[in-house]
Amino acid sequence: MTDTLRAEPESPDAVVNSEPAEPPVGQRAMSRARRRADRRAAKTASKTATKGAARRAVPAADTRAAVIDVQIDPSDPLLLFLQSAPGPLEIAALPAYSPAVVRMKEQGVQMVVPFVTSGELVGLLALGPRLSERTYSRTDRGLLDSLARYAAPALRLGQLMRAQEKEARERERIEQELHVAQLIQQQFLPSELPELRGWHLAAFYRPARTVGGDFYDLIALANGEVMVVVGDVTDKGVPAALVMASTYALLRSAADLSSSPGEVLRRVNELLIPQIPMNMFVTCLVLVIDLDTGRTRFANAGHNLPYVRRDGEVLQLQARGMPLGLMPGSAYDEHETVIEPGDIVLLYSDGITEQHSAAGEMFGFGRTAELVGEATSGDDLVDRSVLALNTFSAGVEQEDDITLVTLHRGQSGGHRDTVSFTVPSEPGNERDVMDRVAAIVDGLLPKARLDALKTAVSETAMNAIEHGNRGDASLDISVTVRRTAESVTVEIGDYGRGMQRDADIPDIDLKLAGLQTSRGWGLFLVENLTDRAEELTEGDRHIVRLVMHTSDHAAAGPTPQTTSGATPLTDPTGSES
Amino acid sequence: MAVSAATMTVASLGPGAARIVIAGDVTAACEQALMSAHEKASDTGAKLIVLDFSEMEYMNSGGIGMLVTLLVRGQRRQQRLAAIGLTDHYRQIFELTRLDEAITLHDTAESALAAR
Repeated sequence: MTDTLRAEPESPDAVVNSEPAEPPVGQRAMSRARRRADRRAAKTASKTATKGAARRAVPAADTRAAVIDVQIDPSDPLLLFLQSAPGPLEIAALPAYSPAVVRMKEQGVQMVVPFVTSGELVGLLALGPRLSERTYSRTDRGLLDSLARYAAPALRLGQLMRAQEKEARERERIEQELHVAQLIQQQFLPSELPELRGWHLAAFYRPARTVGGDFYDLIALANGEVMVVVGDVTDKGVPAALVMASTYALLRSAADLSSSPGEVLRRVNELLIPQIPMNMFVTCLVLVIDLDTGRTRFANAGHNLPYVRRDGEVLQLQARGMPLGLMPGSAYDEHETVIEPGDIVLLYSDGITEQHSAAGEMFGFGRTAELVGEATSGDDLVDRSVLALNTFSAGVEQEDDITLVTLHRGQSGGHRDTVSFTVPSEPGNERDVMDRVAAIVDGLLPKARLDALKTAVSETAMNAIEHGNRGDASLDISVTVRRTAESVTVEIGDYGRGMQRDADIPDIDLKLAGLQTSRGWGLFLVENLTDRAEELTEGDRHIVRLVMHTSDHAAAGPTPQTTSGATPLTDPTGSES
Repeated sequence: MAVSAATMTVASLGPGAARIVIAGDVTAACEQALMSAHEKASDTGAKLIVLDFSEMEYMNSGGIGMLVTLLVRGQRRQQRLAAIGLTDHYRQIFELTRLDEAITLHDTAESALAAR
């Protein structure tokens, strides 16, 4: 520690009262002054030596090796004393009961110059005897005093900057960890919801800043049924993400062995218990659906109960059981229902129900059930929910991951198809992407919606080319367009690490001042022109997904008021106008 | 591909006003063309610059950024900027970005002139 001059931006008390177990702050603050003194002493010694008249007892001929070693304990009264010292002081004027003073005296220190700024001792200079062997004059003292006055604030600034750099590094480390947790988690979220005969699935996932452990999965079972899983790991960050990953794997392997939701949960619970950290558990809901008949079997391990909208009524599927990873031998009752044509099912995490408003109120089950009652489709339910939640929690940070999965059994079976293509990352190709997407969705969208989608596609493609792939023409950007009667989804993928910035709410003055960029405005447009815009990761690809409904229904329209809420691309509250 | 895909034509609109007809793709790539068109229009002593977008095919955020730059140049010369011929979609974009507060939107050059 002795070779670093450490900043101590805290109050002077912090300098003095540090725990003895900690590296003594006083000692650290001391070190540079000491090194100076060392050099000084060494110089003195060498001069004396060349003169061949080493009459002084202190720096012996080989003082170069005799390092002045003055350790100041944080509890040393000298620190307090120097803090209010008027300027350079003779060693004799310092409190003799200070262990540091004793040691300095032993090593020939004659003068001590405290560096004090803003009432805080930030360092000190310890000087040996003058080369002329005379005592320090008034002029010397004046010079040292000025030196201390100028040097102290500069020293303090340097210390503060170091402290800030250290904090920044720490923040970066935390960000990095969050990024890792997010990556782990997103690896396991299906980015593509598979084609299901006549069923439309929509999913929405938005991690909290601290990243919780929400997950969902769709598993095609050997018997032709489909297993839908939603879950939530308690705790946050990398540990939760890891437990989530192993739960995900256990669920998949259990689904290979059994098509019974209760049995799947029972197995996963037994396998999870030996490996889950203490105080962590996983809530999980498993549904097994026969797509042709709508027959649905389900079991629940402590997760939120799903809602079903049927003929304008809202029902809740009842099933209870212990969360996974808590108690060996837990059994999970299996229940059965039939999801009728036209029914909409909502599976969700407590990130939505337990989100608080600025007034401290919780979003709760009542509001969630109301949203289900008003839904016209699965996509619509997702959009409405996100919008309602954003409005409700305006000005409040998102507390937990939010996951919404909707299952909508179509009246007659939906049709959807997919077209994909790639283009090299060359500037200007965003225009081609725009035209090709427009051709693919030809006739599906009203003109205004098509125009809005075109601009959003072009801006997103431009970002992917210029920023995601950094204009590297050897890298392609991928474009996938999915068409259904209900909506058009465009996914644009690159090899970058995502937006890493927020949309700017356009402000001409800020733009003129260079504080906003065209890119920031572009992101703003993407968010405001589409019904939904979100980012996801798929392997090494970063994907932006744009959703545009085929008609302007109540919940969504290309206006800032309605869509700004439904855009998890960046800060959910940021673009509220 | 980063070449300007737009053409700018300057025409007089009577005393103190000029029209810049912007055709093609308005992106950051046509900054040079637009700025020299603006110089040319300013040389006529125009205090009102009417940007005619009726032949514009496409504009992106880079193009919008360029219009903001033009705005500064215009302000330095005590000029006012107006836009005509915008489709509903680009009108919406002007409104979303609040560019319409600095560049007034009109249906025709006549109404832009009349609003002076």
